[in-house]
Amino acid sequence: MAASIIWYLREFFRPGWLKKFLFAKTAPLTTPPYFRDFPEPTGKPCQHALFCMMVCPAPGAIDVVMEEDGWRPRIHKGHCIRCGLCVEACPNGVLRSGRILETRKAEGTAFIVTFRISIDPDLCTGCGNCATSCPVNKQLDPQIGAGGHSSNDEVIMRVLDGDVHVLHEEKCTGCKTCEVSCPTRAIQIARILEGTQQPQKGGGQ
Amino acid sequence: MSILQTIKDKVRSRSIHVSYVDLGSCNGCDIEVLACLAPRYDIEQYGIYVHNNPREADVLIVIGAYTPGWQEKLTPLWEKIPDPKAAIAVGNCPISGCCFNRRGAYIDPPVSKHIPVAAEVPGCPPRPTEILAAILSVRDAVFANWEGRQR
Repeated sequence: MAASIIWYLREFFRPGWLKKFLFAKTAPLTTPPYFRDFPEPTGKPCQHALFCMMVCPAPGAIDVVMEEDGWRPRIHKGHCIRCGLCVEACPNGVLRSGRILETRKAEGTAFIVTFRISIDPDLCTGCGNCATSCPVNKQLDPQIGAGGHSSNDEVIMRVLDGDVHVLHEEKCTGCKTCEVSCPTRAIQIARILEGTQQPQKGGGQ
Repeated sequence: MSILQTIKDKVRSRSIHVSYVDLGSCNGCDIEVLACLAPRYDIEQYGIYVHNNPREADVLIVIGAYTPGWQEKLTPLWEKIPDPKAAIAVGNCPISGCCFNRRGAYIDPPVSKHIPVAAEVPGCPPRPTEILAAILSVRDAVFANWEGRQR
């Protein structure tokens, strides 16, 4: 009887069995280095191109905010879906996530963001708010005032003879300030995102 | 803390019963929870058991962006779970509504407005290891010295 109890106790309390019972049998899996995690800053300075915010598919996931030493992209966890498009779209390589930057370099892929300004001539009153509010205009011609008249032909758009003329569409940065300031919603900015790939060196496909 | 309490804590930390509820998600996070059950991640080796019965659950995993159909159902479900209990929001949807949170969408995130949420696992979807780590982190905060804190 006693021998049988001892046999049972030894059976149940053998160290290997206890260890197996009390501790996890497989090691906790680590995150692989190629995992596309939440984007992290690489340390390169943000140039405030805002392409990350334009390309982001999730509402409220990324903001570019002014901090004491310049602009910084800020990722909001809980909104970010870790698609990595902001990392890929950034022209300055401010963000880093997984192997995205390395892959982009190896395969020669890039996102090209262009902006198209369209003005509805039926709605436009020629008030010049768009030309006045445009921050790029302000930099190119500091003299530009209310009315949007400018003698400088380097500006993106200016009012001439009561009509807005778009001179340099390629200088647009897509901030849409003109769209907000237009009283009749005559001006529309289209942001066009294009994926491109450079032909591989060495005669690849 | 008495020896009895220490033993209780030890045993409870190896026996977490989980129920999960989908408040209208895209199924991505459900699949990640299912991946936790599969041998690669194997949630049961940590003593976490998925039963999907709130009456015997300790941890409620909330997935999804809270559609109107859950307005009268989620709070009773939360009250059915016996104390001590904790809710974990898995994925972006219960935290922010994620890509469903558009103008005119029939969702009401965050879920923490409706039930107390102990931990949040961001991601769309989160990795199974992140879900696992969240359950294990809640375990110590909620279940340690439960009787002692009741007094």
